[in-house]
Amino acid sequence: MQAVLQADVGHRGVVLDPRTKIFLLFTIALFVLGGAGGDLLDRYVACFCMLPFVLFLLAKKWKRACIYLVIYLAAYGSFVYFGPRTTGIANFLLLAVCGILSRFLPSIMLGQYLIETTTVSEFHAAMNRMHVTEKISIPLSVMFRFFPTVAEEFASINAAMRMRDIRFGGKNAAKMIEYRMIPLMVCSAKIGEELNAAALTRGLAGDVRRTDICEIGFHLQDLIFFVLGLIPYVVCVVGLFQ
Amino acid sequence: MIQIQHVSFEYANAEKGALYDVSLEIRPGECVLLCGESGCGKTTITRLLNGLIPHFYEGNLSGSIRVNNLDVRNEELYTIARTVGSVFQNPRSQFFCLDTTSELAFGCENMGLPKDEILARIDQVTRAFHLKKMLGRNIFELSGGEKQRIACAGVSAVQPEVLVLDEPTSNLDVDAIEELKQILLYWKAQGKTIVIAEHRLYWLKEICDRVVYLDHGKVGFDLPMQEFVQFSTKRLQELGLRALMMEHDTFPEEESRSKEKIRLLDYRFCYAKSGHPALALSDLAVPAGSVIAVTGHNGAGKSTFLRCMCGLEKKFAGTTVLHGSKKQRRQMLKECYMVMQDVNHQLFCENVADEVALGMAQENKEQVEAVLQELDLTEFADRHPISLSGGQKQRVAIASALLANKSVLIFDEPTSGLDYRHMKQTAELFCGLQKKNCTTFIITHDPELIERCCTHVLHMEHGTLQEFYPLTAENEALFEKQFRFS
Repeated sequence: MQAVLQADVGHRGVVLDPRTKIFLLFTIALFVLGGAGGDLLDRYVACFCMLPFVLFLLAKKWKRACIYLVIYLAAYGSFVYFGPRTTGIANFLLLAVCGILSRFLPSIMLGQYLIETTTVSEFHAAMNRMHVTEKISIPLSVMFRFFPTVAEEFASINAAMRMRDIRFGGKNAAKMIEYRMIPLMVCSAKIGEELNAAALTRGLAGDVRRTDICEIGFHLQDLIFFVLGLIPYVVCVVGLFQ
Repeated sequence: MIQIQHVSFEYANAEKGALYDVSLEIRPGECVLLCGESGCGKTTITRLLNGLIPHFYEGNLSGSIRVNNLDVRNEELYTIARTVGSVFQNPRSQFFCLDTTSELAFGCENMGLPKDEILARIDQVTRAFHLKKMLGRNIFELSGGEKQRIACAGVSAVQPEVLVLDEPTSNLDVDAIEELKQILLYWKAQGKTIVIAEHRLYWLKEICDRVVYLDHGKVGFDLPMQEFVQFSTKRLQELGLRALMMEHDTFPEEESRSKEKIRLLDYRFCYAKSGHPALALSDLAVPAGSVIAVTGHNGAGKSTFLRCMCGLEKKFAGTTVLHGSKKQRRQMLKECYMVMQDVNHQLFCENVADEVALGMAQENKEQVEAVLQELDLTEFADRHPISLSGGQKQRVAIASALLANKSVLIFDEPTSGLDYRHMKQTAELFCGLQKKNCTTFIITHDPELIERCCTHVLHMEHGTLQEFYPLTAENEALFEKQFRFS
């Protein structure tokens, strides 16, 4: 059973270096989510938001790519089209929903792309090459390992809730969140502990520098995406001097 | 190789598993089996050897532990890791990486070995453990047996002198155990020192040289295997140990006739990702009110089958005839309850009484009390379900299913990792369910459990029905063939 949020090592399409992905994620978070660049970039933001779509296509995640494209275009389109044409509460709601969607969605999707297409060892190797200390890189790679586990636990808890008829509209609807969170926390804590123990008995966090056997490195595709990612920075810098 | 001298240990936040003045010496190349009832301290000893005690689990420790001339108490875990390799019970939570190749490399990478050396070692263990087909795969897609093989190979690549296994077969089927046996024999041939804590004993007869029985944190006896195999099944049962031989009571001459049948129609299913059918059962009728063991190899589609029956798979379109009427997926969800392997997933409330009453249509105090009484849970009514032991949690889950008027109960490996006494209790519980007119399905690899409480065996392979037979004297040969147990 292939759960969400876990790297599919079998067929992965065009592979980017984890460092490229991290750079892109940072860039999109800065300019789309953070709104850096202001008016200068406003008109081009939509183009930039096509990035997750392209990346999903390259990773052969067709369905995900299309869903993203439709949602984003719908949100952005209605923002642009209806924004100036409505007033009052309708305008406020529209702004809230579409604004949040079009600003947050690209970063979230890119984050998901990063996690789903990077294996733990690739990520660790990338961190190593960037000379990030193990104090930061180990907890981050544990997170990579942990996401799919939590997703799996969540699915099991969901199944248990369905069998006990706890659902929206049922008599226990008010307690839905509590019912979900408690087992999730208990199970995650237990698995976290076991994972931790297993990793320690295999010598993680030693005093020697870890080797990484997996191949990462920059290729042509990385170069292309790096150049693309640099555009908004260049525009900003040039804008400053004009 | 291993010297444990006058070691006492108590966990900081648990009563179980404490050790009192244990001394043990293990020579290089020896293979030692640690056995005893749950909570006797066998897992604690494995943790002393790999350094998780005192470096990870906290508690009061006295005495000295030396492994290969390392003083475990004063060495860092990563130093111990080069000498002692560990394999754990739960294949789900002992992997750090998500793909097999990096998992094999993980231990070596941590030691900072040069890349070429690591690749050479991976190549070596791949050949020794026949893992060629499994390289570069997603770990979540492997079966339990395959996961355990990867875990062993990953440990082996580090080339430790001592190997410690803590209940490695809990989730494995007969064939996977056989593969694990080959791995242990390979290690033995290399002259490694091996310590195994296990409940299932039969497969270790030709592997272990020595048996250490622990009784409430003390060494009960320490015998060579040749003497231990002479123990009668009865004696083993008194010690709380699982059988060394397959012995079973005679099965009944005739199947208990039940008029009502549950009919399974069009049980077909395939997972969207893989594309090939995970389940394809021809129409089948099983007698209502029976206890059915669902058996087959890891990955044979047992879980898929029962998840479909429960109505948990949204894309499943089959129907079930139950109580004389056809039921679709959503209706089955109301009739069935699955007790999962990790019961923690299905306990939601603040105390046991609320928990069991959660699914009731109308709150009925007397009924709740009657069921609690019956399942020995009355004294825990005010406790938080999460704070109970594994067996008690299982009973809480059963109680909640009974009170919610479920007529089909499903258990996913209820006795994995249980000692004799707890397994017997569980078996008695299932016999009790039969009297309540519940139909029970049990996914299991445990012949001792089947022999004790099941009335039928449903054997699946590759998503299809292999055979379905009542456990009667006539079918004894079939049963023995499937669980060849020597």
